[in-house]
Amino acid sequence: MPFSELDTPAVARTLSQIAEKPEDLVDAYFERREEIELAPEGESSGLRVWREEGFAVRLAREGKTWLAARDSIEPRAFAEALRQVARALSSAAYPEPALQVRPPAEAPAAQELLGFPAALSRAVRAHHVGFPVRFAVRRHQRWVQVVGPRLVPGPEAETFYSCVAEASWGRYGALLTRLDAEAATTMAASIVSLFRARQAASPEPFRGVAVLGPAAVAVLLHEAVAHALEADTLAQGGNPEAAVGVAMAAASLDVLDDPAAAPEGVRRATDDEGSAVVRRWLLRGGIVEQPLADSLWALTSPVLLPGAGRRGSRHLPPGPRSSHLEILPGEASQEDLLAEADEGLYLPEASRGSLDTLSGEFTLHLPFARRIRRGGLAETVGPCFLRGRVADLLTRVTAVGDEAKPAGAGWCAKGGQKMPVWATAPALRLEGVEVGS
Amino acid sequence: MTVSTIPDLDEILRSLLRRHLTEAEVFVKRGRSRRLELTAVTEASSTSQEKAWAVRAGHRKGSLFAAGTGDPTPGPWPDVTGRAVELPEPMAGAPWNPPSDFDTPLIGEREGLKLLESLGRELASELPRARLLRGVLEDGSSESELASSRGVRTRSRSRLSTLYLEAAGPGPAAPTATLYVAAREPRRFHPTALARRLADRLAVSAAGGPPERDTGEFLLAPPVAVRLLAGLLPLLVGPAAGFRVTSLRGRLGSDAVTLIDNGRLPGGAFESAVDGEGVPTREVVLVEEGIFRQPLLTWWQEGSHLGVSSGCVRRAGWRDIPNPGPTHFYLKPDPRTPVATLLGAVNQGYYLIDVTGPGRFDLAEDRFALPVCGFAVQAGRASAPVAGAWLCGGIAAFLRGVLGVGRDLAFQPLDGMIGSPSVLATGLELRARL
Repeated sequence: MPFSELDTPAVARTLSQIAEKPEDLVDAYFERREEIELAPEGESSGLRVWREEGFAVRLAREGKTWLAARDSIEPRAFAEALRQVARALSSAAYPEPALQVRPPAEAPAAQELLGFPAALSRAVRAHHVGFPVRFAVRRHQRWVQVVGPRLVPGPEAETFYSCVAEASWGRYGALLTRLDAEAATTMAASIVSLFRARQAASPEPFRGVAVLGPAAVAVLLHEAVAHALEADTLAQGGNPEAAVGVAMAAASLDVLDDPAAAPEGVRRATDDEGSAVVRRWLLRGGIVEQPLADSLWALTSPVLLPGAGRRGSRHLPPGPRSSHLEILPGEASQEDLLAEADEGLYLPEASRGSLDTLSGEFTLHLPFARRIRRGGLAETVGPCFLRGRVADLLTRVTAVGDEAKPAGAGWCAKGGQKMPVWATAPALRLEGVEVGS
Repeated sequence: MTVSTIPDLDEILRSLLRRHLTEAEVFVKRGRSRRLELTAVTEASSTSQEKAWAVRAGHRKGSLFAAGTGDPTPGPWPDVTGRAVELPEPMAGAPWNPPSDFDTPLIGEREGLKLLESLGRELASELPRARLLRGVLEDGSSESELASSRGVRTRSRSRLSTLYLEAAGPGPAAPTATLYVAAREPRRFHPTALARRLADRLAVSAAGGPPERDTGEFLLAPPVAVRLLAGLLPLLVGPAAGFRVTSLRGRLGSDAVTLIDNGRLPGGAFESAVDGEGVPTREVVLVEEGIFRQPLLTWWQEGSHLGVSSGCVRRAGWRDIPNPGPTHFYLKPDPRTPVATLLGAVNQGYYLIDVTGPGRFDLAEDRFALPVCGFAVQAGRASAPVAGAWLCGGIAAFLRGVLGVGRDLAFQPLDGMIGSPSVLATGLELRARL
């Protein structure tokens, strides 16, 4: 842990000097990041390394936030940053707390990256297909220490991997928590599905039944539930706490955000503001129970709980965001889901989703789909999209699959902050939905 | 403003040489920035000081890339793998003086917030009950230094401001619109003009609909023409571009089409004497009066049959590996033609003022589709608002169908800064759906 020798009590004492009012929110956020990438075959700089560390000091008061960030962890820089965010000019200079940080490991290395492209290639060939494809694999590591004037939570660390496959006919990216045989097999299956669907014609636009696989469900509910229930998003339309109690989805839908239940490697006990994470019921029985909030939004209402504050970078203020979405399984087996969906579409994966936060208009982009006939999966069709208004679309869920799987991990970009998000989801059946192409 | 103290780059180069990494380059960057964000209920002011470096090095059998914050240290370095890296020799460029506005201080907190607040007010006055949902103003300056084992040694500075706006129109089912613009410093952002652009888009989105399918003369405002040019870029960048363009057969465009890239465009947001590898920048004409002259080429792609190279290897930030691409790529305007003249020339057609989402470009099939909004035009006058429509056509047909260009050149930050004046074109189609 790089921050185990940080004099956090001294930092806390220094921070307390700029918290002039009882309701002031003050914290210091220290981070170190290391990314190592094995570039695609044939490119220069086969191994690419990025190492960075720095901190941000923040003061929030009455809806206003001041933040100062630096790309080094040094006492003088810390005192300067404090001066920048302090609202009252101190007659004396701010103290410079000792900021002892453990240096990074000697030569950067990531042995586990080296064999993964070959493992992926083997897993692709196991499907009896062959096509030129290049893989880039990257390990992402982050260490975080948050210090407040009264609260010093423990340090946090995250490690995960991103892998991108590029072929002449398309591109596929995935986030993984381990680079093992199972990860290679799962990713290869998705790549092969895309390859096989590359020339399939898009379906004619229709309104009907669609069964979404766990990966597509994760993207759907990330956009339509998690983003929609972020306190800052809700505030665009009025008071965020007014959302609590609203029936937003079918009664069969239970959706939680639980960073503590995320896959090993990205599991968190505290958020990027140092608040303890909570098992947050976003929807219980389809009804909004607890929107996503960070410390700042939690100050505005007793109904909003902190614990979902995330930062894409030390240079930007934190915001309420989902980390690990969990959709509770229902009772329908895969056979049940398909049996009631004759002449519909099975949508296994989504390439991306988007939500117009004000109108609630939602679009889920699907790289391919399968037709459902006589309770089974039939021919593949090409790219299409699922569209609707959140309030309407989520009420059209008629069955929830009985098996929730880790699915739909991906990058989420909002407000210039790109973050990894994770999910565990079952399949869903929706009726009367609009699919276009 | 002077270049701040930067560590001894030769020491780093020597440490790389000791590891037999004979091709080596060290890049260091220092930056300061201010970011102001305003929403209906929150206000945030951030200041950042950035200090970082990047190293590319290698030998005949492989190379490495390492980057980090703070001052560069002489190792430890990651393993050398992959392909060898090639670095440029020092090259002489034309004389260039840094623009005076590089020295202007960053915008202050109050001034920046006032700019965002005034945008909200102007928007509400242009379109009653319209509101600014979110405004983000970023203003930064940086200095960088680059040294290589080939003897390249350059210092450069940059100054860039960006403004992102999200707005909603009146009414319960309010349409929304976003705008992202860049300039060298924030005092160049004009709240009234920006608010008017947002208001126009919100107003046509609320009132307009798409025609089922229609053709005619199309006047494309700069935001629309810029997106079409950005979609065409793969046809013009790199040595394979000549082949791709040849596949379009004959002339690339009409006489009105002259396409230029210029890394030192006076007043340009990325104006600089050198590119991300320390190679001097200059103006290159890629298409002249409709005739393809040459693709955009880097120093390692130069060949007598292809054309001349320019400093066009961009380094967007210290984390990024230098990559070829345009800096200020634009369609040359006609200083004699006001937009009103072009609009007056539209007998039956459309004046498309903005793009409302991502477009689809299929260069292999020579077709594109872009979601747009604007007005139907009859005899030079707007007759009805248009929204939710797709502008469709062939890439070659669009370039050959350009009848005239205006004088209102405007740039947008996309893949580099892409610029265009208003364009009057035929051979396109407007559709309600794809």
